[in-house]
Amino acid sequence: MRHEHPVDATNSAALLRSFEPVLRFTKGEWFYPMDVEPYVRSCSLWVQHPDEEAVCVVPQGKLTLETLGQQPLDSADAVHYLKIPAPEKSRRRGLWARLFPRHAAGGPDWPKETFRAGRGRLARVGYVSRLADALFSLALLLRGRVPGRGVEGARVMYGGLMEKEEHYQYHGRVVRQDGWIVLQYWLFYSFNDWRSNFFGANDHEADWEKVFVYLSESESGEILPEWVAYAAHEEAGDRLRRRWDDPELEKIDEHPVVYVCAGSHASRYFRGEYLTELEFPLPRSFARARKAVRLFWYRTLRQYAEKDPSELFTIPFVDYGRGDGLSVGPDQDREWDPPRLMEDPVPSWVSGYRGLWGLYTRDPFEGEDAPSGPMYDRDKTVSREWYDPVGWAGLDKVPTRAEELADILEQRSEIEERRDGLRAEILQKSRDLKRLGIAAEATRGRSHLRELHEAQRGRIAELSREVRGLREELSTEGVLSEALDDHANRLRNGERPPANAHIARAARPLPESEARTGRVAQLWASISVAVVLLTLTGILFYQRQHLLFALVFAIAVLAFVEAGFRKRLDKFMISANIGLSVVGAFVLLDRYFWQIIVLSVLAVGLYILWENLRELGR
Amino acid sequence: MTAHEKLSCWSEITLMTELRQRISYRQVRVVGALLILQGVGLMGLGVYFFGRIDWDRALVTSGQGQIYIQTIDEPLSEQLEQAALFAIFFLPSAVLLLLAGLSFLVLRRRGWLIATTAQSLILLVCLFAYPDPRPGFTYPLIAYCSLMVLYLNSRGVRAAFHSKEKPASSRSGTVHEA
Repeated sequence: MRHEHPVDATNSAALLRSFEPVLRFTKGEWFYPMDVEPYVRSCSLWVQHPDEEAVCVVPQGKLTLETLGQQPLDSADAVHYLKIPAPEKSRRRGLWARLFPRHAAGGPDWPKETFRAGRGRLARVGYVSRLADALFSLALLLRGRVPGRGVEGARVMYGGLMEKEEHYQYHGRVVRQDGWIVLQYWLFYSFNDWRSNFFGANDHEADWEKVFVYLSESESGEILPEWVAYAAHEEAGDRLRRRWDDPELEKIDEHPVVYVCAGSHASRYFRGEYLTELEFPLPRSFARARKAVRLFWYRTLRQYAEKDPSELFTIPFVDYGRGDGLSVGPDQDREWDPPRLMEDPVPSWVSGYRGLWGLYTRDPFEGEDAPSGPMYDRDKTVSREWYDPVGWAGLDKVPTRAEELADILEQRSEIEERRDGLRAEILQKSRDLKRLGIAAEATRGRSHLRELHEAQRGRIAELSREVRGLREELSTEGVLSEALDDHANRLRNGERPPANAHIARAARPLPESEARTGRVAQLWASISVAVVLLTLTGILFYQRQHLLFALVFAIAVLAFVEAGFRKRLDKFMISANIGLSVVGAFVLLDRYFWQIIVLSVLAVGLYILWENLRELGR
Repeated sequence: MTAHEKLSCWSEITLMTELRQRISYRQVRVVGALLILQGVGLMGLGVYFFGRIDWDRALVTSGQGQIYIQTIDEPLSEQLEQAALFAIFFLPSAVLLLLAGLSFLVLRRRGWLIATTAQSLILLVCLFAYPDPRPGFTYPLIAYCSLMVLYLNSRGVRAAFHSKEKPASSRSGTVHEA
């Protein structure tokens, strides 16, 4: 672990409360940030050994935060996990229970609001992605997945707790690292119901999310907020963080505003709906071949081409961060309870428990497995967010404002020292070079000094290279020194680089125009894959005598309709044309191979003749 | 830079823009002419197919002005079938080509989509509707369409049709935006 010195608890709590975030949820959210204590009390602890049945080691109601860290029956490959109790079996069965599981199951009247999806994600993407999505859903049947009753169990458990008394709480930690004071707000949700309730990629019991605020301390002891980083899915690095003075960062007084996505609880900077994509890289050979074809198309044939498409194949899911639901934070719909601190010393439920905080489904992609706690990754190693919160948000290369100017001046004086050394070295070596040059002139053309002359020439070349390199280094250092000087002056004048200069591709919500597609387009998006499959099956059964034509025609018509709905007719038509032209070219080659060869040779011959005659005529 | 230099620089830019627009307008006209040629060619081919049928043998007119098709021999039936299929397959494309060609000549940029759709239809029919061996006329059609596809998608033509700039005023003085 690097420079970590937790500050004392009283200050930590005060610091945390000064900058605690305001969380804005989407209407219809089921689960809000809660304290881990009642959750752990409601769960049972299980252990899974390889090739064995899972064993319940602490039954429901017996587990406490203190006993959680003991991890009984531990072994090399054991996986400990918590399990939310299953809901009581409903008295109502059949169609009623299928259509209205919440009402059929009974239990608390929770959540209070209903979610409306609006425009479906499938209307925003093409056929291939829709087909891949269908396959992804089928794959969930084979992979481990959280059973359908899991979310219901979590609803009953969490709703029961909220019916008794509503609490909204985060878990706080303050860390000092590399001159930064990092305020860590760890948010615990009892369930990630993104797939079940919001058409997302996955479900899992328990969900740990985080918001970090980075403060700097001046020499006078003044504490300034400088950066903030919101976690979203598995993202890390520069794109997570925003500068405190970024006009795009929404704040209420000193409290950053977070738009929490429904179900997934991903934290976002802007209100809206995000297209979150599961990315699968294309096979390398396929990507290389495609690049070669594009080059031939664009450069050789001078054809129009769209900018280079993504090298990834993606399945899209919508993250709803609408912010139209409950708002939690200072002076909001609901206030935060005092935070539960995770420091001085780190409590045993954080450091001692390395298991999962919910059901272990044995999903090979881990998307349906519950997460581990704040300190660990699923593989039981210490998580980067815990031991390197500064590097996690890409801040390890950024000094605090207090250090910035001093760092520049120190760097400049180091550069000047290096430049002085370089100048002296260049002077000495230049002198040597000239002397060698004179000596080589003196030995030129004398047979008895031939070997010496050759050695001198070799040494001259070597020394000349060295001097050139040194001069280049001197020049580069000079330019760097000037740039640092300029930068220091700008900082002294209060100028700062653009607030979003560090972000290559910011996560932004989908534009409004994309959400305005009509209901017919949405309906088409929902039924299109099925229509395609049914049409193809119908052709296979009833049009075998005209199979090729019927298939091509049906696909062309369906693709045409699709392109029309997605306002991409231009693109579709040119793609179709190119495809057909390629087939046409092969047909022509097959039919008139020799004639084409003869014509080509004739054309080349005539062209050369024409060029030569033109030259003659000039 | 002096005011005079700025002025001369500005007039150079204006001149270049006009030249580029004139070139792009010429390209639009060339495409239009080629499309009309293609459309007329298809129509001509249709006229040829229908013209070689001996209609006196194929049709018998009754006294009330109604037309009946009588039983006819195989070569005539093949000719009839070929002409009918040609009309079904190529008449819509020929109409689209003429429309696109004419609209190019009066500079409606939407003609580009109609032109590409027509090329697609012709290629689709030539490649997949006729069984192998295809009739002889399909091969020149495939070749012509393939070259037209390349030309319609060339950077110059795409720029002329999809640029937001209005092309230089044509002889009729009208500029139509898509």
